[in-house]
Amino acid sequence: MDPQDLQVVIEATVKVAIVLGVIMTVVAYMEWVERRVSAWIQDRRGPNRVGPFGLLQPLADGIKFLFKEDILPPHVHRTLYLLAPAIIFTTSLTTFAVIPFGPPIEILGRLVKLQVADVDSGILIILAIASLGVYGIALAGWSSNNKYSLLGGLRSSAQLISYELAMGFAVVGILMSAGSLRLSEVVEYQVRHGWNIFWQLPGFIVFMTAAFAETNRLPFDLPEAETELVAGYHTEYSGFRFLLFLMAEYANMITASGLAVTLFLGGYHVPGLHLLDLPPLAFALVQVGAFCFKVALFLFLYVWVRWTIPRFRYDQLMNLGWKVLLPIALANILWVAFFVLQGWA
Amino acid sequence: MRLLMGLVFVVMAAAALRALLPRRPGLTAFAAAVAAIVLVGFYPGDLATFDFWAGAVGFVSILSALLIVMHPNPMVSVLFLILNLFCMALFFLMLQAQTLAALQVIVYAGAIMVLFVFVIMLLNLKAEEGMRVGMGPQRWAAIGFGAAFAALMFWALRHRHGSAFVEPKAFVEGFGTARDLGTLLFSDYLFATEAASVLLLAAMVGAVLLAKRRLE
Repeated sequence: MDPQDLQVVIEATVKVAIVLGVIMTVVAYMEWVERRVSAWIQDRRGPNRVGPFGLLQPLADGIKFLFKEDILPPHVHRTLYLLAPAIIFTTSLTTFAVIPFGPPIEILGRLVKLQVADVDSGILIILAIASLGVYGIALAGWSSNNKYSLLGGLRSSAQLISYELAMGFAVVGILMSAGSLRLSEVVEYQVRHGWNIFWQLPGFIVFMTAAFAETNRLPFDLPEAETELVAGYHTEYSGFRFLLFLMAEYANMITASGLAVTLFLGGYHVPGLHLLDLPPLAFALVQVGAFCFKVALFLFLYVWVRWTIPRFRYDQLMNLGWKVLLPIALANILWVAFFVLQGWA
Repeated sequence: MRLLMGLVFVVMAAAALRALLPRRPGLTAFAAAVAAIVLVGFYPGDLATFDFWAGAVGFVSILSALLIVMHPNPMVSVLFLILNLFCMALFFLMLQAQTLAALQVIVYAGAIMVLFVFVIMLLNLKAEEGMRVGMGPQRWAAIGFGAAFAALMFWALRHRHGSAFVEPKAFVEGFGTARDLGTLLFSDYLFATEAASVLLLAAMVGAVLLAKRRLE
């Protein structure tokens, strides 16, 4: 292999390792954040026994999940039952690869993009892989051979189909203004023209609502709906396979937040930072920090909304998706198209 | 290309074996897997070439296509259909049509197949048990015609002119991007695009009308 190729391979490996490591750590700590913030919202204390402020709680939980018995119920469809958590976990981790988390920086005379893969149809790839995640849930529900699981799986496939459409249409406005599907160019556009959220607010609201539905978070957690369906599609799972479902949910939340930040909140852009005249590396690191901060805000929003809005009924869910979000998204497209046509964008 | 033909041959043999021994699907799959691994393992050329990957993906796509028809469980069949569509997306990707590849996954694997899964879950179809049709002459006819078709394909591949695949380097810069695809759709192929969209709209309105009439 010639040195040029080797450099590319090393760069890619390092980036993948860093991104994967950070996501897995954040996934573990989201569990702690979720419980602490929930407790704070409900005027309780939350987990505070393991380590200072309960910070070692995710570690203890992970070990406990590993040592729990991994039950394979006799009535399940074996192959699909074992495959489902793998599908959902893989798809949830893959999608972050095309999200830029910092500006390009120069390391050892090499221009390194702070993004695992800067591909031309970045947004399409996220939508494509995310849409495969539904098979994890649907298969888990079907292969469990349990009526509650089946209902959960059914609900999730109907829900994801309905909200994927609204999400796709909300993104179209961004693509029209930036003129590219490449996420790094979407961010560059916002650096030059200001953040998209200010003039595409309807698109942002539709996108966030659809993102909540796509990640199966309250108020859209009908596939698991513990008050009606025991635990929905993962009723029959135990041990580490069950943990994979939880981790996939948090990983999906991180990706959805990262995507929302990239598309609507200027990605890693900090307004006015270039006036400070920082050295290039510090400039880049501050922007990476800004990206992480924005994502953290969205993750907090996820927990906050969970304890603010109760779960939708199934017909309300469908009405909201098809009769409210979709028309808003279409109107947003018209509005953006008018802007772009006038040359104002 | 030789690899693809070898793999296709393995699959054809496996399909014949499967038809002859309907009660031993595991054995057939095992034999096919061993043959494929041996073929790939003793592949004389460089593994990082276009031909090799075209052959490998082609093999998976043909194998999954066969399993769609042969697997007794409808849910597993649908999964193999998804795998097959995924292989199509990989083919698009190898031909530098990355936007088309992503769209293929979004539209087929991500939306249409979810509806298939949805319907199978709703109907709660169980694996067909012992209701295998066409045990006698039909099977022999199928094997005969299948062999004839395989021979025809083999002959066609042997007597083709030049490579069946275009080397990806032959494409112009920017080929297959969303911009390129959009420009083509709204200039050279404008009429076809508009005609297809009108057709889809008519189908959609028709579906709504049919569904509504039953309600009233």
